[in-house]
This record gives sequence, structure tokens and C-alpha cells, in this order.
Amino acid sequence: MNKVTIDRTPTDWNGTAMQKRIARRYAAERRFRAIGFIAVALSTLFLAFLLFTMLGQGVRGFQRTEVAVDFDFPALTSGASVASISGANAQAALNSMDIPGVVELAVSQQFGEQGSALLTSAAAANVRQMLESDPELIGSKQRLWLPAESRIDIAYKRTGEPAAEKIVASLGENDALRTGFNWTFLTGADATDPSAVGIWAAFKGSLMTMAITLMLAFPIGVFAALYLEEYAPKNRLTDMIEVSINNLAAVPSIIFGLLGLAVFLTLFGMPRSSALVGGLTLALMTMPVIVIAGRNAVKSVPPSIREAALGIGASPVQVVFHHVLPLALPGILTGTIIGMARALGETAPLLMIGMRAFIPSAPQGFTDAATALPVQIYLWSDEVNQGFVEKTSAAIIVLLIFLLGMNALAIYLRNRFETRW
Amino acid sequence: MTGTALLFLVLGLGLVGWIAGRARASAFLRAAKGGPRGQVNSLPSYHGWFVAVCAVVPAIIFMFVWQSISPALVTNMVLAAPAASSLPQDGFARAAILSEARAIAQGLQATAFQSQSEALVPLYREALSYYQMLGLVGSLLLLFAGGAFAFTRLKPDFRARNKVERLVMLGLLLASLLAIITTLGIFASLIFEAYQFFSMVSPFEFLFGTNWNPKSVVTPGADNGYGAIPLFWGTIFIGAIIAMIVAIPLGLMSAIFLTQYASAKVRSWMKPILEILAGIPTVVYGYFAALTVAPAIRDFAVMLGVSNAASDNALAAGVVMGVMIIPLVSSMSDDSIAAVPSAMRDGSLAMGATKSETIKQVLLPAALPGVVGGILLAVSRAIGETMIVVMAAGYTANLTANPFDTITTVTVQIVALLTGDQDFGSPHTLAAFALGLALFVTTFFLNYVALRVVKRYREAYE
Repeated sequence: MNKVTIDRTPTDWNGTAMQKRIARRYAAERRFRAIGFIAVALSTLFLAFLLFTMLGQGVRGFQRTEVAVDFDFPALTSGASVASISGANAQAALNSMDIPGVVELAVSQQFGEQGSALLTSAAAANVRQMLESDPELIGSKQRLWLPAESRIDIAYKRTGEPAAEKIVASLGENDALRTGFNWTFLTGADATDPSAVGIWAAFKGSLMTMAITLMLAFPIGVFAALYLEEYAPKNRLTDMIEVSINNLAAVPSIIFGLLGLAVFLTLFGMPRSSALVGGLTLALMTMPVIVIAGRNAVKSVPPSIREAALGIGASPVQVVFHHVLPLALPGILTGTIIGMARALGETAPLLMIGMRAFIPSAPQGFTDAATALPVQIYLWSDEVNQGFVEKTSAAIIVLLIFLLGMNALAIYLRNRFETRW
Repeated sequence: MTGTALLFLVLGLGLVGWIAGRARASAFLRAAKGGPRGQVNSLPSYHGWFVAVCAVVPAIIFMFVWQSISPALVTNMVLAAPAASSLPQDGFARAAILSEARAIAQGLQATAFQSQSEALVPLYREALSYYQMLGLVGSLLLLFAGGAFAFTRLKPDFRARNKVERLVMLGLLLASLLAIITTLGIFASLIFEAYQFFSMVSPFEFLFGTNWNPKSVVTPGADNGYGAIPLFWGTIFIGAIIAMIVAIPLGLMSAIFLTQYASAKVRSWMKPILEILAGIPTVVYGYFAALTVAPAIRDFAVMLGVSNAASDNALAAGVVMGVMIIPLVSSMSDDSIAAVPSAMRDGSLAMGATKSETIKQVLLPAALPGVVGGILLAVSRAIGETMIVVMAAGYTANLTANPFDTITTVTVQIVALLTGDQDFGSPHTLAAFALGLALFVTTFFLNYVALRVVKRYREAYE
């Protein structure tokens, strides 16, 4: 029998070999830590870069270049008086005045042949608004600042086409150009001319779609969460419901668009590209998110609450609706807002159900053809005209502000009303 | 009267029913107070709810059923009229004329483009108003019948609460069943349309063909350009390879850094910032990828000497998609690392292992199933992602592994096939549903496996 000899000399921790080894291990430790830091930093940098790019381009989308145009109103309108456009018949008088013609005449008098190409198509509407708000203007010579055409706009803000640059240089000498806030962008609708576009129509479409989504997804999601968490017996059906909900929460959004196309549009014959169908489709997508958040919120209500209520004679339904639901509501609302924020940014399913139409005015009802803010962003990003680049970024800023606002509200609600049991 | 107005009328009458029922029950209570047996089974509001529900629910169900069957009834009535006998026998032309006449009658369209539809407009108007009237009368009758029935049943010992609660439970169950109905609806509609597609184009061509160039007219037996292999490859290349090369290291290392190394303060700031990445809409990522990242990558590739670098290259879409997925990978890894019992970690540290050695040799192997589950979920998310690839990747089917080349994916082609006003029965539209079915089945499978892996892993440590 061999005797195994064990080396019992103690490790020489201060020896060079051991010290080297420890140094190597510590270096590996620092490297690993640095890699982790780099990973976080890279992700943050990317986010910062993205936001910075959008902000840098988008700010210009809120500005517009304005051209000073001299209107000799008494001569141009031949007889329209302050009284005629300020009384009860103001609208009719303005309609009969042919304002586009007046603007055309004024610019061609001032700038010659190329004059009419200086202003955006929305300029006449602007003049009309100015006259409506201040009828006094019509009695005298006026210098009005009107939004410039897209090429001039680009050339004034950064470098544009050589021809446009030339015009800008000549206008600049006469102090006939300035930068103003682009109100049209917040109040207008889609247009073919990038200097005349606005996001209001798309935004209203988004709001209407979200209203339908919230009205359907919130009650159904909360009810399903309550059922699954409080009443559901353990059986095959409940298992199937759970699998379906977990799966629906992870199904690609475009599949919901296909469902909306096949079922709501083709089978039920609902109006194409309407906020109603968009809302229904997004509701199916948002519902599982609300169910999952709702279940977590309901689960976190301690059983003692239920037992106390049962103990003083409440029925199971009363326990849930009088006690559990109010206590779980902040958590449910947080989940709902996050789900709604996701639905607000969703594009693909809306493309499937045709909400990509050109919408030149805001939708009036739930069955009117509408578009949504993210879809509008997608449509503008596809435009060839350079003027749309800054409009797209500006629309993205509006969308991001809303999403961040919703998420901040969710975080506030969570912190304000969250109860630690 | 429009549907919305009718709905409000019905709801308003329901409110009246609620007040009436409640008042009646309150009267019972008052009467019982003076009497010998002060027993009223349920609170007055339950009586109110009972009356309201009995009145409103049947009426609303009737309204929805009526909404869905009345168009067919209207068409039948119009076709039965003598003026409709001159319509062309051809189904397609006939349907076009009928739908135009209906649109004019409903005020959706101003003038007729087809002369024959003009004659049908008054008929349609008449039929529409007739059936609308019938629907109105029917739902109101049901409402009053239901309400009256419920009202007469109210007695002091009527178990209103039990009835209402049973209805509430039914409502809760129905709300939960909607998830199953939606899943089945997705499955059924995809299968139905895909079946029609496969009766035109052979499944063999679709699944194994390498030529994607869909023709709008399909000839049986020939190559119709519906070979989806390049699309499947493009989807895997962008979503499961490039995006994951970005997302897995960054997500995993971020999670490790934030949970193991960062101080509580850094963690409380960095975690929400990472989550903002998940909250940015994909259309924004797509725009960013197409406008900023893709040109930069193309210039970089040209600098490297890649001659055929495309401006809609696969790398831009994949990288941006990877960044989008970082928070998903990160939070899933975070959860699984946190679920490893701290005894394992403490044991390793107590033996003298450094933190990184503990992470690499104890925590990560123990958390691996959870991490893998998270990665599977991330892959499923990436291959179903639409807007980034629609905006940044190309439309040309290309069987290549060159990340600087243009490549297309399943979701891009679904959008491309469904763009524009096409006839719903055309092979293009149906092909989109076949692609959708492939996507749905794949993601369903990935999600199912991922959730099972994660669940089993959690159970192992509990």
C-alpha cells in the first residue's frame, strides 16, 4: 500500500509567483468591471446620440423662414373696406376677395417673376387669418411676414440648392427674411409642401385611436386580471387563458395588424383606415399588457385584507370590488399607462389596416379616415423632399415628449400611491 | 338615428332602470322597518343593478347582432326590387355597383361614377331606413321587456345580490376568454388566408424556394417567385444574428455591472435610462437607422474597401435593433441573476474568489437557463420587429451573408405586399398572410419555450 505524500508546506502568499498570480486575478477583475461599465456607457451614449440628433434636427422643424411682403391693400383689393370684412358678413366678404390672387399679385409686384415661388401654399390662408383677427389692416399699406417656400426655408436655415441660396442672399440684403415660430406645424395637417405641413390631424387621429383602445382594453384587462387572480379555478381552461395571455403579450405587433385586416376590415366590413379599427386592433394588443400588470398589482394586495372583509360578511364579489380593486388600482393604472404609451408609439399594425392614407384635414369622427402620429412620422420619413427631414424629427420630438410624459406620470403614480405592505 | 346615439339612449334608459329598481327596493326597506319582519335580502343598489342589466344587456347584444346581419338583409331587399333585375350577372361588377349605391345612400359619397348605381340609391335609402327602424324598435322592445320583467321580480326577499354577482362573474370570465378568442382569431384568420394562398402556390415552393419575386398572376406548376427562403434568412440574419451580437453582450454586461458593481445611486439612475431605450417607439429607431446609422456604415464600408455597400444595409437595421433590445436582455438577465440564492454567491466569495470569478463561474452558470430564456424572448421580439427593418433594411430579397449588402425580412415583405389598394383575394395579399403565419408560429414557439425555461428555472431555486 502506497502512502500518498501530501505537500504540507504553506502557500507562500508573499512569494513572487503568488503575487503575480494575484495581480493577474485583480487585473482580470478590473477588466471585467471596465467591460461592464463600457456596456452601460455605450447604451447610454447611443440613447444620448439618438436624442441629440433628433433634437438638433427637430428644432428647425418648429421654426419657419418668413418673407416680408408689402401689401398695398387699398390698391390690391380695390374697395374692400374695414367695415365689409369685420361685420357679420366677414366670412363671405373674405371668400369673395380672392386672397390667393391678392397675395400672388403682391409678391409679383415686389419680387418680379419669381415672386410667386417664394411663398408656401399656406401663405394665403395666413393672410386671411391676419385679416380676420385684425380687419384694420385692409385700410392701409402693410408689411406682412409670410412663411417662405420649402427650398428658401432650407437655404436660409442651412445650405440648400444654389438657386435658392442666391434668392436668400438677395432677400437677406433687404432684411426681408427672418425666422419665426411655425404655428402651422402644431395646428395643421399633412400637405405635399413641407413648409405647410402640421401634426394636428395625425395627433388627433392618435388621440381618438387611444380613446377607443383605453375604453376597451382597460375594463377588459382589469376584469380578466381580477378573474385570473381571484376566482379562476385551477383547470385546463385557466391554463389555456394564461398561455394565451402570455403569448399575446409577446406576439409581434404586425400580426395584430393582419388580424385587424382580416377580421375587422374584411369580415366585419368596418371602415378602412378609421380610428375605430385602429383602436380595436391596438386594444387587442394592449389588453394582455394590462392583464399582466393588473395581476401583479392584485397579487400584491395582502390576503389579510380579503380575509378581514370576508370575516365581516362580504361576498367574494364585494371583497374584490370594494377592497382588493381599489388597493390594486394604482398598480393597475401604472401598467395601463405603460401599455398605452406602447400603443401610442405603435406603427406597424396601423399600416396594415390602411391608416397610412394622405390625410389633409383632421378627422371629425371615429369612422373617418385618419392617421396616427407614428404613422405620420413614417410617411414623412419616406418623402424625397429635403424639407421633410426636419419636420419628421420635429414630429418625433412631439411624440417622444408625450411618451416621456406618460412614463413620468406612471412613475409618479407608482411612487405616490404604492403601498408597501 | 345612428348607432352611437342609440347606444347612448339604451344606456340612458338603463340608468333610468337602475334608479327605478333602487327606488323600489328602498321602498321595501322603509316598509320593512315598521313591519314585523325587517328582512330585505339585498341592498337597494343591487336591485337597481339587476333591473339595469336585465334591460341593457339583451338590447345591446341585439344591436350588435343587428349591426352585423342588417347589411345582408338590406342588400337582399334591394335585389328583390324590380329595378335591380337589370343588374349585370357578373358578381364583381354587381358588387361594385351595389357598394357605390350604398355609399351614396349613406352619404359617404357625393356622386355616382356608374350610371346604374344612381337608380338604386332611393331603393337603398328606403331599405336602410326600414331596417334601421326595425333595429331601433327591436332593441327598444327588448329593453323595455327586459326591464319590466326584472322590475316585476323585485320583492323584499328577492336575492338580487346573488343574481347580480353571478352576472359579474360571467362578465369576468368572458373578459378572460377574450384572450383565447384573440389567439384563436389570429390563428384562424392566418390559417384561412394561408390555406387559400397554398391552394394557388405550392407550399413546397414557398418553404424551400430561393427566388422571391412575387408575381401578381400565378400559374400553377411554374416558378412564381414565392420562394421565402431569402426572407427567412434575412430575418434570421438581421434579427437573430446581428441584433443579438449587439444586444447579448451589452445587455448582459449592463445587467452584471448594474446589479453587482454599481452603487445604489448609480443603479437608481442608470436603470430608468436604459428603460427609456425600450420605451422609444420603433418608428423613431427606424428613422434614426435610415437617416444617420445606415449612411455612416456605408461610408465606413466604402472606406474599408467594400465596393457593393448598400445604403440600406443589413448592418444598420441589425445594430439599431440590437440597441432596442438591450433593455429586454438586461432586465431578463437581471431577474435571473437576482434569483440565484445568495448562499451560492457568498460561498464563492468566502472561498476567496474575486467578484468577477464569482460572476463568471458561479452566478452565470446558475442563472444560465433564465438568461437563455430571456435571449429567446429577445430573438422572438427581434424577428417580429417591423418598423426598423421597413425603414432601414431593403426590399430586395438577397441570399447573402454580407452585412453591408441590402437584405429583406419577412415583416418588410408583409408590409410591402399589403401596401396599396389591392384586391383582398390577390396572391400578393394572401402571401402576406402566409408569411404572417410563418412568423406567428415561430414566435409562438420561441415564446412558449422561453417562458417554460424561465418558469422551470425559477421553480428550481424556490
